Amino acid sequence: MIAIRNLSMRLVSGGREVSILDDISLDVPAKQFLAIVGPSGSGKSTLLGLIGGMDTPTSGTISFDGRDITKLSDDELSRLRLQKIGFVFQSFHLIPTLTARENIAVPMELSGDPEVNAKADELLRAVGLESRGHHYPVQLSGGEQQRVAVARAFANRPVILLADEPTGNLDTTTGEQVIELIIRLNRDRGSTLVLVTHDPALAAHADRIVLLRDGRIASDDLRHRGSGAHP
Amino acid sequence: MSAFVFKMVWRETRAAWRHFTYFFVCIALGVAALVGVGLFAANLERAIQREARSLMAADVELRTTRLLTPAAEGVLMKLDGRDIARLQVSELVAMAAAPSGTQLVELKAVEPGYPFYGKLRAVPEDALATLFTGTRALAEETLLIRLDLKVGDTLKIGHVEFTIAGVLKKEPDRAAGAFSFGPRVLISRQGLEATGLVQPGSRVTYRHLLKLPEALSPKAVQGELAATFPDKTVRVSTYQDAQPMLRRFLRQLTMYLGLVGLIALMVGGIGVASSIRAFLREKLENIAVLKGIGAESGTILRVYMSQTLLLGMLGSLAGAALGAAFQFALPPLLKAWLPMELEFRLALLPFVRGVGMGLLTTVLFALWPLLEARDVRPNLILRREVADEPTGSPGLMAWAISGLLALTLAGLALWQAGSWRAAGLFIGALAAALALLNTAAWLVVRLARRVPRWRPLAWRQGLANLYRPGSQAQTVLVSVGVGVMIILAIHLVEQNILWEIGENVPTDAPTFFFIDLQPDQRDAFERLLVERGHTDARLTPLVRSRLWALNGQQVRRESYEDREHGWYFTREYVLTFLNDLPKGNAITRGDWWDGGGSSGLPRVSVEEEAARRLGLDLGSTVEFDIQGAKVSGRIASIRKVDWGNMSTNFYFIFEPGALEGAPMTYVATTRVDPREEVPLQRAVVAAFPNVSAINIRAVLDSVAQVVDRISLVIRFMAALSILAGTVVLAGALAATRFRRIYEAMVFKAMGATRRVLASTFAVEFLLLGAAAGVIGTGLATGLAWGVGHWILDVKWLFQPRALVWGIGVTIAGTVLVGFLSTYRILGQKPLPVLRRE
Ligand SMILES: Nc1ncnc2c1ncn2[C@@H]1O[C@H](COP(=O)(O)OP(=O)(O)OP(=O)(O)O)[C@@H](O)[C@H]1O
Ligand SMILES: [Mg+2]
Repeated sequence: MIAIRNLSMRLVSGGREVSILDDISLDVPAKQFLAIVGPSGSGKSTLLGLIGGMDTPTSGTISFDGRDITKLSDDELSRLRLQKIGFVFQSFHLIPTLTARENIAVPMELSGDPEVNAKADELLRAVGLESRGHHYPVQLSGGEQQRVAVARAFANRPVILLADEPTGNLDTTTGEQVIELIIRLNRDRGSTLVLVTHDPALAAHADRIVLLRDGRIASDDLRHRGSGAHP
Repeated sequence: MSAFVFKMVWRETRAAWRHFTYFFVCIALGVAALVGVGLFAANLERAIQREARSLMAADVELRTTRLLTPAAEGVLMKLDGRDIARLQVSELVAMAAAPSGTQLVELKAVEPGYPFYGKLRAVPEDALATLFTGTRALAEETLLIRLDLKVGDTLKIGHVEFTIAGVLKKEPDRAAGAFSFGPRVLISRQGLEATGLVQPGSRVTYRHLLKLPEALSPKAVQGELAATFPDKTVRVSTYQDAQPMLRRFLRQLTMYLGLVGLIALMVGGIGVASSIRAFLREKLENIAVLKGIGAESGTILRVYMSQTLLLGMLGSLAGAALGAAFQFALPPLLKAWLPMELEFRLALLPFVRGVGMGLLTTVLFALWPLLEARDVRPNLILRREVADEPTGSPGLMAWAISGLLALTLAGLALWQAGSWRAAGLFIGALAAALALLNTAAWLVVRLARRVPRWRPLAWRQGLANLYRPGSQAQTVLVSVGVGVMIILAIHLVEQNILWEIGENVPTDAPTFFFIDLQPDQRDAFERLLVERGHTDARLTPLVRSRLWALNGQQVRRESYEDREHGWYFTREYVLTFLNDLPKGNAITRGDWWDGGGSSGLPRVSVEEEAARRLGLDLGSTVEFDIQGAKVSGRIASIRKVDWGNMSTNFYFIFEPGALEGAPMTYVATTRVDPREEVPLQRAVVAAFPNVSAINIRAVLDSVAQVVDRISLVIRFMAALSILAGTVVLAGALAATRFRRIYEAMVFKAMGATRRVLASTFAVEFLLLGAAAGVIGTGLATGLAWGVGHWILDVKWLFQPRALVWGIGVTIAGTVLVGFLSTYRILGQKPLPVLRRE
């Protein structure tokens, strides 16, 4: 499904070049639940962003079903994200001027889905916010905002869900609820899930744990838990 | 200031040098517009005033019909010490004799150095210089035709035989009219003295021409001389009085350029203000963080005030330098466009004014948000994306300081405008516009919230951008609205002035006067003209007279000789009788005669000023002495005369029939094609040997030329201000660009393509442009009307087309600038942006 080959990311910062990701190669089969862990600054967010086509690597390739996305144009990347990828960020990144329901509807509207209304309501229900649909992000708690973000991420039935520390800004209980929501929706819809986290407890849910250190893969631990799919 | 403040300023600038540069450029643009337009307007005005001076050939003129007393001479001598050059021109009517006959001529004697301004044209070119080397004269072609002479022949005037050294084509300061006595002959002052024509009692007009150094204002010298000159019969005037029509246009030009300067000041101010606002917006988060970690408000204020001031100072200096550089870059480009001698120089004052204005605006617009942020809890600012704008109260201090700064800015505007009225009107208009625009912007934003959220995402999101918390829609609306208002107002005013100039420059003004037509020649003369195709000729009767009595009281000329304005009593009056009120005249009191005979004394219409000076009112009687015969009349109406209308104007007009039997001549005025001039004159001379022709084409041409240049300059400065305003507005609009990146990137992360993002922005800018365009255009109409009505005194011309254009161009411009400033955002990668938030 996702094939990463010799991926490197270097940036010039403060006049000198820093290596953020260094020669990463990784295969993620369809429907796998992969957790990426590692110390702060090890490059987790950068790797996730690159997988989502949100930035361009310095070298190496990322292929989805054999199609190299590093060569795609800006708009092709946008369309790819629209159709195949859902994002959940640590700091939610909801559009402040739209209500919860409208935020969820945006990806479907972008793709011209005719059943936006019904699906948006269904998603709201799925994340347990059917009564808060008309609220603006500012009127929601962090956990509620993140649930809206999760619903938005699943709106277009993505085959890949990318989540970057989705619980990082939430307390433990709320975090638990959100992660359970993500895992449940992921299982229901049969998508591939890449989750970046600091939290070993969260990583424990995963089929596979990749440990990043200084921009390299330090360990790749495939676990047989029966819940996920196997390569 | 503590080391921390310095360090922070440096770090902040270093970290965000791109933003810093961006705002720096925006501010520099504003100040450059201010300084560049101001300087250019001043330079252009100097060039035009220089040209206008040629119409009197001097800055200031003292005109008298008497030789100066020693005391008066003394006053004039004292001027020499002040670097004021002077020379004397004498004018009188004399008889010129040639073998073929004699002719009355208007003799003019000049001294070397004449004319101080303008050019005297003659054929051959250098003929003027030869006047001073012997007994030579220059004569107009009409005289040569009349007396059948050619260059090299002699002409006897008084005791002297003058050799005709050349043909006089154009004197810069000739004011010829229907009351001319004959063609012009130009000689030297020595030549005049030799003729023996100047005797006690002979009617000579002496003009003492003064040329002032640059630093002296003609108006001031005029005032000073009028007050100190011992001889009150001397009339002191400046070059602006030389042609009444021009005086009006020159005044309007000065006012207009003043307004242009003022407008540049405001447009520049808008540019600086909106840049500073956007710049500080970027800093709010840092402020909150600094606060969060315990920095005191005072420290924060000092850090960001210093940084903003640094930005304002650098931007203003660079802008002023750019505006000045403009003065050197422009003239070569404009050679073909503005055919004037432009002498460009840098004045320190506009430069200082520009920098001062930039800095003051910076402080004014930085202080407020910074003081406001002082009392705000940091989390409110940190959550600015979601919470409403920080609404801390800036405190009394801020009000006080801001009030003071606003007053200073108003003072600067006053300094720029040079007139309380203009500055007052503008500041008032600006304040009203700001209030109105703010309200309107607020309404638009509220309204946008109400508009049903239509399906297309771009539409909905664009609309939402208008009222989203932290949106700069209101700021943009206000600055673009004010910008549109003043730019369009400048255009509307320009159109009004140009229209009025076009109305008043008589394209059909006569170029030829035939004088001394006898009443019995009238019909034959008209026939001759018609035969030659001149159907437009107008014949006006002239009766030369002097005042004999007012209200039965005899006028003793001697008792008025020394009085100021005494010449109203002593002068010669050319009377006429007319059926219809002539063009350019308006009755202010009483009635014009519409048919209907009168019982008793014949009715007379008198000009307003003469009525005032002579103490005449409706019903008063006047008695004139016409070569010994007395004619009386009763004042039936008082007229206002537009002396600038270039036709023949009269102080006294009698009703038809009243002057029957008085010795009169007719003057015929007509417009003649230059090629027809000589043949027509020859034909007239052949048929009517006593008639002389006066060609005033040259006079008309020089006036028309100055008027043309005035129009050109007004048009040009309007275009320049509009251009500068547009550039600055574009900068102001572009300054909001950083705000858009974040949201665009969230959309992108969700899969929005560049097209979707672009159309969202397009909708937003379209709505902004439409609102700003409509409001700004409405305000522009009001402002232009006010300026035309209260300041320039021009007629109002409603121009719906300009308004429609104004709205259209604002929308197109806003969308275009919006597109250009966000274009690069569209291609950005989401990750680096999102990880920053
Ligand atoms: N745009 C950038 N400019 C400069 N440095 C960057 C940039 N993006 C990433 N880095 C650097 O790359 C490294 C990896 O960053 P990344 O955000 O991927 O780390 P992370 O593993 O997600 O850390 P955390 O767990 O704290 O979120 C960091 O050292 C960061 O400083
Ligand atoms: Mg991270």
